[in-house]
Amino acid sequence: MNSQSNNSRYMVDLVKVSKIYLPDIQALTDVSLSVNRGEILFLIGKSGAGKSTLLRLLSRMDKQTKGVVEVDGHDLSKIAGGKLQRLRRNIGFAFQDFKLLPDKTVAQNIAVAMEVSYTRSSVIRMRTKKLLHHLGLADKYNTPACELSRGEQQRVSIARAVANNPGLILADEPTGNLDRETTQLVMDLFRKYNERGATLVIATHDESIYRDTDHRIIELREGRIVNGHPAPEPDHAFADRMDEEQGSPEEDDLWMSDQ
Amino acid sequence: MNFIIAVFTQTFRNLFQTWSAQLLTLITITLSVLIFAFFYLIYTNVQHAGQQLDDDLRLVIYLDEEPAEEMQEEYRKKIVKFDKVERIEFVSSKEAYGRFAAQLEEDRDVLEDMPRDFLPPSIEVYPVRSLDTLTKIKRFSDYLVSLPGVLKVQYGREWVERFYTFVKLLRIIVFLSGSLLILTTTFMVANTIRLTLLSRKDELELLRLVGASTHYIRLPFFLEGALQGFIGSAAGMAALFLLFNWIKLRFAVSSIFQLFEFTFFPFPVVIAIIVISSLLCAGGSFSSTRKFLQL
Ligand SMILES: Nc1ncnc2c1ncn2[C@@H]1O[C@H](COP(=O)(O)OP(=O)(O)OP(=O)(O)O)[C@@H](O)[C@H]1O
Ligand SMILES: [Mg+2]
Repeated sequence: MNSQSNNSRYMVDLVKVSKIYLPDIQALTDVSLSVNRGEILFLIGKSGAGKSTLLRLLSRMDKQTKGVVEVDGHDLSKIAGGKLQRLRRNIGFAFQDFKLLPDKTVAQNIAVAMEVSYTRSSVIRMRTKKLLHHLGLADKYNTPACELSRGEQQRVSIARAVANNPGLILADEPTGNLDRETTQLVMDLFRKYNERGATLVIATHDESIYRDTDHRIIELREGRIVNGHPAPEPDHAFADRMDEEQGSPEEDDLWMSDQ
Repeated sequence: MNFIIAVFTQTFRNLFQTWSAQLLTLITITLSVLIFAFFYLIYTNVQHAGQQLDDDLRLVIYLDEEPAEEMQEEYRKKIVKFDKVERIEFVSSKEAYGRFAAQLEEDRDVLEDMPRDFLPPSIEVYPVRSLDTLTKIKRFSDYLVSLPGVLKVQYGREWVERFYTFVKLLRIIVFLSGSLLILTTTFMVANTIRLTLLSRKDELELLRLVGASTHYIRLPFFLEGALQGFIGSAAGMAALFLLFNWIKLRFAVSSIFQLFEFTFFPFPVVIAIIVISSLLCAGGSFSSTRKFLQL
């Protein structure tokens, strides 16, 4: 984990956040939401409910109109420059529109997320291969991204989001183009990263991935939270466990080890 | 260390991906360095040439009568007042006669009937041999004519004047080609970089989203510019060197080359031109990325 873990209680903390797109589209209204470190949170709601908008605020792709957005203890309206860059390196975002570079190969697309942290190229290659293997794309390593199917592109964008072992993973509709089996692969991958300590916020309207979950589900409707369960008390035991694990640089997990 | 490797990897990847635009820029830089350095080379050589002009740069002041000892001293003072000179020689009528006779060699008998002092006495002024002197020589001559007892002043007028206009022209050309060099290198590089930036808009956007540092995004473009400047100017200088040697071989027997000794730039000048071009290009790319990325 490359978070220089802040000691704030929550990984994500929104207080009365509103977002108005000019001229007058009220995308989010008074959203208050806290996400614990190590939690998996499902963000559901109809198309246009404001899920993507919320995720974009979390990575500072957009700025809220009102309210406070804190990620990993940083108030995003006050962060800029090097600090924002470091924070973003600790956030993996699987964009709804993928944002893959069409001319680059699958491997190069995934590498981008690690290169900005100056990861050694041997490590990059190793991680990329493992991720592709896990997502059933082992034979696409050198394929240009533009030659992939939508579902394949989606998996590549997910691989890129998790490749840098971020502390916070934002997945916007990560299974929209995937069949049941492949969806399972993706959710397995997310679970693995979560077990290693990553916090996940998954925006989706794919009922199959949250139907039987015991993780928190937040529903947005027209920019408001409708099933407002308050955030559970922060899981201190979890945070302690994470701190211990961060103490040892050895990565024993199959998915993240660089050996 | 990893940062440096990452930045270099990025740089070479860019160069590789946009090589056709790079090549065009490179050729432009090479050509403008070549043009500038060519004229600058001629200019420096011509400047040195002044030192080899020797006797041609002599002013002869003809006097109406033989100057006495103290009169000579007076002339000497007045001449030196105008400008530093290398040497002043007084030539009496008799000495002039002697020289003339020596020049005639076999035919000296034609002088037999002439009086020994039929040639006027003169003062020969040898100005300091430099380009600067050349440009002043006309005024010098005008000044000397105004001295008392001076009949006329002679110097290689036509030659000197032609040389002077030539040097003036060269100076303008060097100045223009120098400006051209600065414009093309900075502008072309800034423009190529801008095109690269535009074509890689999505990638740069993504880099920012995944938290690339400003230096990581920007340094490759800076290096790219510096590299273009370095390779372009080095190629330009190499081309000039080849051209120089070819001309030297080709025209080795022609008279201009007998007159001056043509030399190539000394090594430090070559280095300076390359370094300055590289810096100009790096600067061009730097300003272009700043505008575009608004960093
Ligand atoms: N850049 C923008 N400019 C103006 N309006 C926007 C912009 N982005 C989103 N919106 C509006 O904000 C509202 C919420 O959009 P958002 O993309 O967050 O929905 P969503 O829940 O992600 O929907 P979907 O499930 O279809 O992805 C919509 O009404 C949308 O039209
Ligand atoms: Mg969306």
